[in-house]
Amino acid sequence: MAKDNKERSTLKKWSRRAFIGVGGLAGVGLVAGVGGYMYMKSAVRKYSGYGLGDGNTMNAWITIAPDNSITLAIPRAEMGQGVYTSLPQLVAEELEVEVAALKVVHPQPESPYSNTFILTQEVPNIYKSYTVMETMYSFLPIVATGGSTSVADAWYNLRYAGATAREALIQVAANRWNVDPQNCRAENGHVINTGNQERFTYGELAEDAATIEIKELPKLKDRKDFKVIGKPVQRLDVVEKIDGSAEFGLDVRLDGMLYAVVKHPSTIGGKILSIRNEDRIMGMRGVKKIFISEYGPAIVIADNTWRASMAAKALDLEEDGVNKELSTTTIQTKIEQLLNEDPIEVRIDEGDVDAAMSADGGTLLEARYDVPYLAHATMEPMNCTVLVDEGRCECWVGHQASSVVHNLLREATGVKKKNIHIHTTYLGGGFGRRAEPDFVRFAGSAAKEMPGVPVQTFFTREEDMQNDMYRPMASCVLKAKVNPAGELEAFDSMSVLQSTAHNSLMRIMPSMATPPEKDETTVEGIEDMVYSMKNRRVSFGNLELPIQVGFWRSVGFSQNGFFAESFMDECAHSAGVDPYLFRKSKLKDHPRFEAVLDKVAEMSNWSDKGGRHLGIALIKSFGSIVGEVAELRQIGEKEFKLDKVYCAVDCGNYVNPDIIEAQIQGGVVFGLTAALYGEITWANGAVQQMNFPQYEMVRMNVCPEIEVEIMEVDELPGGIGEPGTPPIAPALTNAIFTATGQRVRSLPLVKYGYKFV
Amino acid sequence: MELSINGRIYKVEVEEHMPLLWVLRDELNLTGTKYGCGVASCGSCTVHLDGVAVRTCTLPASASIGKEITTVEGISRDGKISAIQRAWIAHQVPQCGYCQSGMIMAAEALLREKPDPTDEDIDQAITNICRCGTYQRVRAAIHTAAKDDEDVSPVIG
Repeated sequence: MAKDNKERSTLKKWSRRAFIGVGGLAGVGLVAGVGGYMYMKSAVRKYSGYGLGDGNTMNAWITIAPDNSITLAIPRAEMGQGVYTSLPQLVAEELEVEVAALKVVHPQPESPYSNTFILTQEVPNIYKSYTVMETMYSFLPIVATGGSTSVADAWYNLRYAGATAREALIQVAANRWNVDPQNCRAENGHVINTGNQERFTYGELAEDAATIEIKELPKLKDRKDFKVIGKPVQRLDVVEKIDGSAEFGLDVRLDGMLYAVVKHPSTIGGKILSIRNEDRIMGMRGVKKIFISEYGPAIVIADNTWRASMAAKALDLEEDGVNKELSTTTIQTKIEQLLNEDPIEVRIDEGDVDAAMSADGGTLLEARYDVPYLAHATMEPMNCTVLVDEGRCECWVGHQASSVVHNLLREATGVKKKNIHIHTTYLGGGFGRRAEPDFVRFAGSAAKEMPGVPVQTFFTREEDMQNDMYRPMASCVLKAKVNPAGELEAFDSMSVLQSTAHNSLMRIMPSMATPPEKDETTVEGIEDMVYSMKNRRVSFGNLELPIQVGFWRSVGFSQNGFFAESFMDECAHSAGVDPYLFRKSKLKDHPRFEAVLDKVAEMSNWSDKGGRHLGIALIKSFGSIVGEVAELRQIGEKEFKLDKVYCAVDCGNYVNPDIIEAQIQGGVVFGLTAALYGEITWANGAVQQMNFPQYEMVRMNVCPEIEVEIMEVDELPGGIGEPGTPPIAPALTNAIFTATGQRVRSLPLVKYGYKFV
Repeated sequence: MELSINGRIYKVEVEEHMPLLWVLRDELNLTGTKYGCGVASCGSCTVHLDGVAVRTCTLPASASIGKEITTVEGISRDGKISAIQRAWIAHQVPQCGYCQSGMIMAAEALLREKPDPTDEDIDQAITNICRCGTYQRVRAAIHTAAKDDEDVSPVIG
């Protein structure tokens, strides 16, 4: 076992046990098959998540120690979205404990922790019943964080986890007092005898409670009785994040650890054939090893990250140079071709679009929109630390999918799954990038080269930016027929881009990869527009390229929201109708959308604009409806200050309004960075942007004030990490139109001469 | 070389031109200071050199000899957290948290220079990148800290 150079007492204690434990569960999981649901129920009861520390396991999520400390297994990655606080809130509400007293650990990727919602889009409830698909996804298992799914997936399971544990504790106390459980209540970590006010702490009851079977599923609290859910509870991770002690993947320090720096081939899909100056590099101070990984890059291992980086930079590589002809220009040529060919898929075809378009009367609109590739640029570059030793593998990584890490390390190191143990650290940003397999594979192959030695494998910023899985470049031709009453007689769109779901899942989980024509992400935000339209067609042309594209915060909505909501604005202006009222008139069958639109109009005082230039956009993504208004001040002909952004959010039942505000603000900044500056371009088969500020970000001086209001809606929870991002680009460019009369149809804005201060 | 960090003397055997960042992180395991870009653009690696904010990813370690280096680990001393840290908790500033050490060090240095900064002062002094977009709360927290006249408070947590 690797010895840690820093304080890590809790992890040390349990890592040995974990190695013993995982095998048992994996074995049972594989043979379960029929009767899987029965197994899942017992698994929830039985399995502790290994790492919950000493104490009594109430179920897969909750352990209570005799000293009354409570540890929760939270199997979702904390990447800033607040999941180490919001999921504990769900448990605490029913368990009747203070959130601040809870300790969070990240368990191993095991069946009870599967995120079934990410695949089914149905809120699971393991305590009542799992469907066949949910059971199947649990057995795979799919323990992943993404698609803004964490709260929805946990909405019943974690509340029942708390409620059943509470009932077991009450039952034990009632037995000891020889009273009816009805005469006991749970409060702040105690069970109280309501007759005589005697009390037991949870720690005093837990050992016996761990053996109790609850006969009846307790009733969950009504929304009106929530004391923790819906409250701005302080984040459990904040204190660690203000004194430097929070551990990100790159902060892992182990005895004797070495540092590996990755040097990718210089063309996309290229192969490194040999290292011409190996002797010279090996002679550099601190360098221990150089090799060409079976996964593509050359990797330099040294005793210090900087020394490894300097050596990697000095490598003289012989490469095959494939795809050297690839450039943004050649990609654009392919896009033009595909826009003029028949689509690979007509995803929606309602009514007779062609007839409606060619009929007399009304106004015909046609517009072409374009957006570039975008990098994730997480502040913490990709990294992963692995130790391979005597048939065992230990890994420290900030990854969005621990079950994927498990599979990758099996493949890259040859170590059996039952002997692989994963420590999930904090993620220095995820945004979809940390769901990818590349850096884990590289780290596995580096560790295999150095048996017995922990190796931290790392991308420099340049390697990270030039070897991302990008938000795809996309072009879309939109057409509409607007009648004199301002109604949409017909809508038609043709999008050309690479298929993100196909491309990415072929890397992450090939068995789940959809063919490009079935990939909803290509036209999400267009095909699911709810505005009333009489005839409608949504088409997709598949762009095939060696470029890797991947899930990027809000995925297809990130570009399609811009296309759709800008074009709606064009339709409104052509009809001579106020853009807010134009949208509102088409939402009569969608009261939740209309309410959000009304709210954001009210927040921004839309009806009394004064000298302000306002632009509006409304998009539902990941289960939540977000309306945004951008308030723009014109300084010069193309120079602006974005003073303020108003956001109204309907995410159904919400868990932590303070975290939601932060996520919406962050989502707006992420989308704003893309709208103003974001562009990845290609030349000679490689990405041209290498670092900041070449790939610039919104910073303090440009960041607007962002006001957020959450609607009170008693419906199942929607996502919150992503839905803030899509509306900002169209809200902003719609505001630019009101200011200048210029319609922005291509991003980023700075490329077309716009300046923001 | 000898370096004075957070009031302690450390001896390291490294190349003179190794950036201070990597001496802190890899030689001394002071991992609170982060790598973000390596070209002094993002500010994740900000520490104080004699009280002045510097970006350590491009600063040769030898340039800090004889100066007092303060890292994020060194601003809460004797179990007390700083006004900036208190404000950071009050405003729940961090999201992923990776850039926050640098943000906090830049904010600490700003307050030392300008105890009650205007929004324009903040715009000029805080040029760090936060990919999660915490800027609005960073700004609010700096204003709160400027009004915090308590010298010390107990560490929370």
